[in-house]
Amino acid sequence: MEIQYQGEHLGFGVLGNVLIILSFSAALLSAISYYFSFSQKSEISNSWNPLARLTFGVHAVSVFGIIFLIYYLIHGHFFEYYYIWQHSNSILPMKYMWACLWEGQEGSFLIWTFWHVVLSFFIIKKAGTWEAPVMFTMMIIQTFLASMLLGLEFGGIKIGSNPFILLRNHSDFANLPFIQMADYLSKIKDGRGLNPLLQNYWMVIHPPTLFLGFAATAIPFAYAVGGMLTGRVKEWVKPALPWSLFGILILGTGVLMGGAWAYESLSFGGFWAWDPVENASLVPWLVLVGATHVMIIFNKNGTSLHSSYILCTLSFILVLYSTFLTRSGILGDTSVHAFTDLGMKGQLLIYMVFFFVLAVFLSIKNRKLLHTRSEEDPISSREFWMFMGMLILVISAIQISITTSIPVINKLFNLKMAPPADAIDFYNSWQIPLAAVIALLMSMGLYFKWKQTDMKSMAKKLLFSFVVSLLITIGVHYYFQFARIQLVLLLFTSTWAFTANLDYFIRVLKGNIAKSGASIAHMGIAFILLGSLIANSEKTVISQNRLNVDLGKDFPNNENILLYKGDTLPMGEYYVTYKDKIKEGIHIRYEVEYLKANHTTGQFQKEFSLFPFVQLNDRMGNVSEPSTQHFIDRDIYTHVTYAELDDKETEKKSNEGYKPGKKYQLSIGDTITTSNSLVVLQSLNKDVDKDLLMLQESDLAVAANILVMDVNKKMHQANPVFILRGSEAFNRPVEISELGLRFAFIKIIPEENKFEIEVSEKEGNAREFIIMKAIIFPYINILWVGCLLMIIGTWIAIIKRIKKLRTT
Amino acid sequence: MKKIHIIGIVVIAVALAVVVSTISNSSTYAPFKTAIENEGSTFHVVGKLNKEKEFIYNPEVNANLFGFYLVDNEGLEKKVLYNGSKPQDFERSEQIVVVGKMDGDEFHASQILMKCPSKYNGNQQDQLKAVSGETEAAS
Repeated sequence: MEIQYQGEHLGFGVLGNVLIILSFSAALLSAISYYFSFSQKSEISNSWNPLARLTFGVHAVSVFGIIFLIYYLIHGHFFEYYYIWQHSNSILPMKYMWACLWEGQEGSFLIWTFWHVVLSFFIIKKAGTWEAPVMFTMMIIQTFLASMLLGLEFGGIKIGSNPFILLRNHSDFANLPFIQMADYLSKIKDGRGLNPLLQNYWMVIHPPTLFLGFAATAIPFAYAVGGMLTGRVKEWVKPALPWSLFGILILGTGVLMGGAWAYESLSFGGFWAWDPVENASLVPWLVLVGATHVMIIFNKNGTSLHSSYILCTLSFILVLYSTFLTRSGILGDTSVHAFTDLGMKGQLLIYMVFFFVLAVFLSIKNRKLLHTRSEEDPISSREFWMFMGMLILVISAIQISITTSIPVINKLFNLKMAPPADAIDFYNSWQIPLAAVIALLMSMGLYFKWKQTDMKSMAKKLLFSFVVSLLITIGVHYYFQFARIQLVLLLFTSTWAFTANLDYFIRVLKGNIAKSGASIAHMGIAFILLGSLIANSEKTVISQNRLNVDLGKDFPNNENILLYKGDTLPMGEYYVTYKDKIKEGIHIRYEVEYLKANHTTGQFQKEFSLFPFVQLNDRMGNVSEPSTQHFIDRDIYTHVTYAELDDKETEKKSNEGYKPGKKYQLSIGDTITTSNSLVVLQSLNKDVDKDLLMLQESDLAVAANILVMDVNKKMHQANPVFILRGSEAFNRPVEISELGLRFAFIKIIPEENKFEIEVSEKEGNAREFIIMKAIIFPYINILWVGCLLMIIGTWIAIIKRIKKLRTT
Repeated sequence: MKKIHIIGIVVIAVALAVVVSTISNSSTYAPFKTAIENEGSTFHVVGKLNKEKEFIYNPEVNANLFGFYLVDNEGLEKKVLYNGSKPQDFERSEQIVVVGKMDGDEFHASQILMKCPSKYNGNQQDQLKAVSGETEAAS
């Protein structure tokens, strides 16, 4: 007998599955129709076009429908659906619900599909005669992507993973006994919820941006393929150019947002960690930048057509490779944020290989037409150096790809290679010199003229910015004292890249915004290089712990520091206090106060407070997020690396005993810290009232004037007394019961002019603590300004290209 | 010889240099046995945490020294010392990769990579655990 399950809403699943099948078959039909639309002659082709558009429309509506439906199900907490149960729960704030949609692989494929649809609208509206060949490729891409959601199984081969599969049908649940009960749903109280790492505003905006960037690389690819298919081997470059610029803009922004997310919310302790997933999105960008530059060369003088074709197709195939790396589970041990394998490895591989073979086949078929004139560009021409720049970008991309692909190489050749032990250092040792060369080319690039340049006049124009940059480099190097020569080289070339392009914008372009795209974008890249150079190489860990056992220089163990609640420790130019722990819902915030000593008053003044926090998540593990104070010239990054999370509600101070005291040898004016206060030995008082202490007249008595400042900056006085009776020394300790502190004046060391004070604390003073790490990133804002300039410059270039397209 | 050929040769040379440097700089996944035989060289050792034995972490004495016992895939157990604070949720990790070298009888790790199945998409067992916990609570 079939079980009548209670409380399920099966209608949504049926609708969802219909939409999935519809989106797949409509995309396929549309691709076929578009193919006939451009391959058939005249009249017949006209009749294919409306059908192609109609089926595209059906595809578009189904994709929007699937997305809306999943969002609706997340919103309504329909946990009978596995995807909803797996990625959301009922306590999740509204703002993160979209993030649930793209947390899983199925959802992220959907977002990608969605952007292809949106961009396709523009193609249909604007591309004119290019519509059919471009849309043909786009629709094949969409067919592949839609198949990722099918969730069909043929003889053990799985095609796609369906987001509408019911919880009780999913292989993880199907065999559980409670699933056989009609009211199983009532036992499922809540979903698993969103990964705490993703509950962050960056995770709401970063993935869609990155996927729009991915989608944007498909269009130049589709133009290139369309050009080959229709015999318009040369004409595709011009209309594809604004799109590849658009891809640079969006993909670049997406990559940088990923860096910003890592910096703000992950505990990488930096902006860029050469993580395989970061690399996988950077590489297509580098290749796309190379592609755009050779496309510009082709537009100008008709050479480099073959390179344009190769790089345009390569950047799209690298996007597919990047999804393969992150989704096949192959990165496994080497990356912190790769998806686990959903059994779609083979499908992803077919997807990638299909387009790779298509691109290579078309290139071979049209190799004669792709071959442009064989005479060489003179060495003093702009096109020659642009081509060089492209080659450097490609070398940089190759280096990153090979190192990132170590797990793939292992699989292919059955090796046991592991990434370099210090991967960041290894990448930097290659990428910093390459970046320095790129920056050098950017500084001189625009001063070269097309075809031929008068080198003398060029040198004259460049002299000013060269001298200025040299002076700046000397000044900055004098200030920071860079340890490595590559860093100084990059400092100089990126400074020059900035000043030369600024100079070009002011003196050559006379501030003409419409023409300034290249110079502004290059200034932006120069600033990005400069900012990351300074912030990364000159970052200082100020939470230095000097008390630890030295384990040798290969094993530095002093970057984290223990801070008791109420404790104040010097860190860099600051004094840092761990003030309080505040529990708000699933967050535990640690209030860390940064103080500065005012030398005139001797008081501490609060500068700012930071609230690094730990997000509690029983099921997926707690996640600790840093907090950063931003200043114009630097950031102060604070991260709680370890904390005891349970409340130690200690009944303290009253009747517990003292722990064994600590002895300090102090001079007048010295400061020490206890777990809850700052202690200063101010002066000595030799004029002790002996009667009051009931001492003998012959006794020698000295009191220490000790000033104690607690967390709330309240002052306390303690005057322990040291007594010498004949040759026998003893002392009168003093207690500050409010703080659970006891001071004893143990002895005087006359030869060193020091005084030994013993400080004892009550057991209850062993309070909560945090282990924290604080890093200063100097001048990181240069990097962010660079990002903005890059975005603005690229946008200006896009507008210029679109205008050119309209006039011709 | 044309310029383009010279450039081509240079590019190929650099690409080869990239490959060589990647191979020569790459570390190796190895069991403790290999790390012991090559004391002082860096290896990636994959293993599981011995949850029976206690961690060594006394932040009040040294916040930057964390130790634990790791059983590698061949079943050999070694004490691992890590120069940092104890990573969040270390106990929950299913699989651990430590990067570092042997020093006497201890493995000094400069990096710990944890694989927590629950942190990303999760595996079957973990999900079963999650649900059976709930059904217990419900019944």
